[in-house]
Amino acid sequence: MSLTQLFEPSGVAVVGASRAEGKIGYVAMANATNFEGPVYPVNPSESGELFGSAFVPSVTDTDGPVDLALCCVPGPAVPDVLAECGDAGTGAAVIYASGFAEAGGEGETLQREIVEVADEHDISLLGPNTSGFLVPATDLRCSFASGVEAIPTGNTAVIAQSGGVAHVLAFQSRRQRRGVSAMVGLGNRANVGFAEAIAYFDGDDRTDAIALHIEGTDDGRRLLDACRASDTPVIAYKAGQSDVGEFAASHTGALTGDHELYTAGFAQYGVPTVDATDDLLDAAAALGTAPLPSGPNVGVVTAQAGPGIIISDRIQRAGGRLPELTAGTKARVDEILPGVTYDDNPVDTGRPMPEFGEVVAAVAEDDLIDIVLVYELFEEALGFPVDTLEGLAEEVDKPVLFATEGIDADLESERDAVEAAGVPTFETPERAADAAGALARYARLHAEEPPGAAAADGGWPRPGGSAAADWKGPRDE
Amino acid sequence: MSDPAPIAAAREDGRTTLTEAEGKRLLASAGVETTDFRVCETADAAVEAADAVGYPVVVKVSSPAVTHKTDWAGGIGVAVGLDSPEAVRDAAAGVLAAAGERGVDADVLVETAVDLDRGTEVIVGGVRDPSFGPVVLTGLGGVFTEIFEDTTHRIAPIDHAEARSAIEELHAVELLHGHRGSDPADVDALAAVVVAVGELVADRPIAELDVNPLLATADGVIALDALVVLES
Repeated sequence: MSLTQLFEPSGVAVVGASRAEGKIGYVAMANATNFEGPVYPVNPSESGELFGSAFVPSVTDTDGPVDLALCCVPGPAVPDVLAECGDAGTGAAVIYASGFAEAGGEGETLQREIVEVADEHDISLLGPNTSGFLVPATDLRCSFASGVEAIPTGNTAVIAQSGGVAHVLAFQSRRQRRGVSAMVGLGNRANVGFAEAIAYFDGDDRTDAIALHIEGTDDGRRLLDACRASDTPVIAYKAGQSDVGEFAASHTGALTGDHELYTAGFAQYGVPTVDATDDLLDAAAALGTAPLPSGPNVGVVTAQAGPGIIISDRIQRAGGRLPELTAGTKARVDEILPGVTYDDNPVDTGRPMPEFGEVVAAVAEDDLIDIVLVYELFEEALGFPVDTLEGLAEEVDKPVLFATEGIDADLESERDAVEAAGVPTFETPERAADAAGALARYARLHAEEPPGAAAADGGWPRPGGSAAADWKGPRDE
Repeated sequence: MSDPAPIAAAREDGRTTLTEAEGKRLLASAGVETTDFRVCETADAAVEAADAVGYPVVVKVSSPAVTHKTDWAGGIGVAVGLDSPEAVRDAAAGVLAAAGERGVDADVLVETAVDLDRGTEVIVGGVRDPSFGPVVLTGLGGVFTEIFEDTTHRIAPIDHAEARSAIEELHAVELLHGHRGSDPADVDALAAVVVAVGELVADRPIAELDVNPLLATADGVIALDALVVLES
């Protein structure tokens, strides 16, 4: 199944479009109407125009091709609408209505029925029981939530099991000034599930990281296979750890909890996991910023000791390592800043200063460092070391992360310049450290060295990996 | 691929639970070392078996109807550390009599006793998860399984390196690496069992497989018990 018609339609039909403000058929039309292609309001009981487009009685009556139908109709009407979509050559539909498999009983029967119709006509179904999806870059807003037009384009594709969580993540990404390449709420996953969505966004040019929210799926192995097959980094948030009470007995079945399997399975298949929505977006921002790290060794440069201490402590708990810098780097730092507060990892310059950028470059160029994290309170007279950061990550072929604090209005333009230099920025020392930890875990999971060999020669293990005493990283206790 | 004899035998009887003896034969067919054992129908045969496998021995109830042997019949289902023909005869006769009273079709299993202090008790298990399919579990075994729940999981089948990583991730790995002067266990041999159990549950119609305890020693690992439940 190709999801091209779903996420890159030439024309869109809003089936059940309505003039009545507040009705889902109105809001869906209002949100969709800015799409770059034609958007047709479909409703046999309406006439005239809505948002400048003429109502048509059926999706078969449009004067141009319709790839995608947004079905704003009650559940029982969906099978007939889909049959008409089949006749019209429409290859994708979003079904917002609930009352399908999630409701059990007759809802399950109805869901089977729509899948049969969809399969017969080769229609990709997003939902049912979803609040839809967004592709901000093409103004394709197939959601009935208010405010979605404000969500900017970013490079993370959010794929959430819950439409509600999809929107939570999308709005959060806006507050973080990051945005999304797409936001998708899968809902009941009638025939478009995680595996299909991951494969599609892996091939999407606008997507550099895929962020998953999972509640539970009956085909975990297919999900894992799709993650492994993805060249685009995937990061996952599996919600719900509360089944621990069932682990009492000593048999394998009872010792094998759902959450443990997801966590272990994701690690085994190369996907770092996180435990919060903001962590998910932070990790995606770090992973989506090329280049990917080749190891878990973090070099920290801080202009203030305290935040550096928080970061150093937290990185190690998050799966990263803080190696000693090479003698050459230390000598270089001492030469740049004679009498520097602390010349090892983390390097603490004591305060922002004109030479700060040179120190960052010295640490970034250290061969023992795989990931660079910079912390600096904003100092108006100095700004950020944008000139140094410009192109630094590409040059050293390592991810560089930056965290700061100060008055938003004062530091905004400097921070934007840092972002534009290919360096993701973070709002707190903890979140920056956690993002660096996610990068480190990703590097460990994608290490080519067999974990046994790595442990034997005193090297580093991968998580879910082997035994170096320094890694007792995030695991479900 | 036809099923190994122990699975075929259970299927023929219409059973989904293998006896310990069948379970151990299945493990042995997959290259897992088990204790030397005999299945006996009488107390006299049990004494002969004890002579053959060597004292001290363990006598256990052997029946598809009894899966929790230690809890069965007021605790007489498993008798450990038997070092004389008389002790073996008494234990075997007790098991057979209790089975008779309960209308259970049972034999006795006589096996070499293994000194648990020689190594670390580990659990290796396999389960077929509805969402993930075959899964293999590794953990601290024996009575500590329930207390610490120190386990790791892998989607099966897995290779040797992945099995090593599943072991190394355990908190209890320090015990396997040699604790307070004890000899390090043969972790590669343990990893081979994890691989074998993963392959069994992936390749065979097994719903759940528990090897608990599996004794990990410096000279290798040995399965002391095996519970296998087939898919119905």
